[in-house]
Amino acid sequence: MHELSIAQSIVDSAREHAALHGGRRVLRIGVRVGEISGVSVDSLEFCFGMTVKDTDLDGAALDLERVPVRYRCGSCAHEFHPVEFLADCPACGHAGASMVAGDELGLSFLELE
Amino acid sequence: MAERVEVREGVLKENDRIAAELRGALAADRTLCLNLISSPGAGKTSILEGTLAALRATPLRAAVLTGDIQTERDADRLKRYGFPALQITTGGTCHLDASMVKRSFATLPPDALDILFIENVGNLVCPASYDLGEDAKVVVLSVTEGDDKPLKYPGIFRRARLMLLHKIDLLPHTRFSRDAAVADARRVNPGIEVVETSCLAEPGLGAWLRWIDGQLAIKRGAGRPARG
Repeated sequence: MHELSIAQSIVDSAREHAALHGGRRVLRIGVRVGEISGVSVDSLEFCFGMTVKDTDLDGAALDLERVPVRYRCGSCAHEFHPVEFLADCPACGHAGASMVAGDELGLSFLELE
Repeated sequence: MAERVEVREGVLKENDRIAAELRGALAADRTLCLNLISSPGAGKTSILEGTLAALRATPLRAAVLTGDIQTERDADRLKRYGFPALQITTGGTCHLDASMVKRSFATLPPDALDILFIENVGNLVCPASYDLGEDAKVVVLSVTEGDDKPLKYPGIFRRARLMLLHKIDLLPHTRFSRDAAVADARRVNPGIEVVETSCLAEPGLGAWLRWIDGQLAIKRGAGRPARG
């Protein structure tokens, strides 16, 4: 349950960016949550609601984009969602693929009034 | 009219900024910093006790920052070996973050260290997200926990440089498959190193102590030559 501190970090960053844009009201915050980032989307939504309640961000929407784990084959560059992290490429059978997405936790956009 | 502003930054950038400061401070003294992560009861504190006991016979200077939700018990255990050991009591928080480590680090005696151990709160999920300024995350998986942990908790196994397969002396009494555990850890992290340890029986902590030695050599090689 570290989603509360993550919600607070999201809110802090959103305020900072809103201030850089003339202090406009934040309507929506886009966040990318990787499948193995260790963050529960449900509890992050819940914690975000608690964090912004009765503040200047009250009413702002949290737009969570879940990013599935994606591997890229080292031989044929095919990208795929691995089954239980198996690096075997379904296209060419090569056993060396590396993760290119799925462990991120980042802000992606803000919608300002 | 609403305007959409693209932002590309990590959610934990404030934590990462403090971690980078810590990393810089540790690099100035060429202090090796290891962040130990495991589920509760895997054996982190016992491993550190055995490690500190072994380090007493060397000229190396070490310290431990140990995180728990409540009690000073771990620091009390670790202080007995003659090295500074400070408790970070998180009061409910399930992980250490860089600001907690920075505050605690600032209260250590000011002498330069060779090794700083950070013992994270027992948890395989949340601590994985937080950079504490360490050189390496070390995940401890004890054989009594089951060999399915690397695929169930891929985040930490992906970010760890080393996996300690701990309580390995108990292997004959469990259904734990060391081959499966290692293969699965390497699925999520092909570069992860694996060392087998036990605090109570063979093979002991020797391979782990040698791994630390290797990391110290790398750390020193990265800067000026080691102190004479």
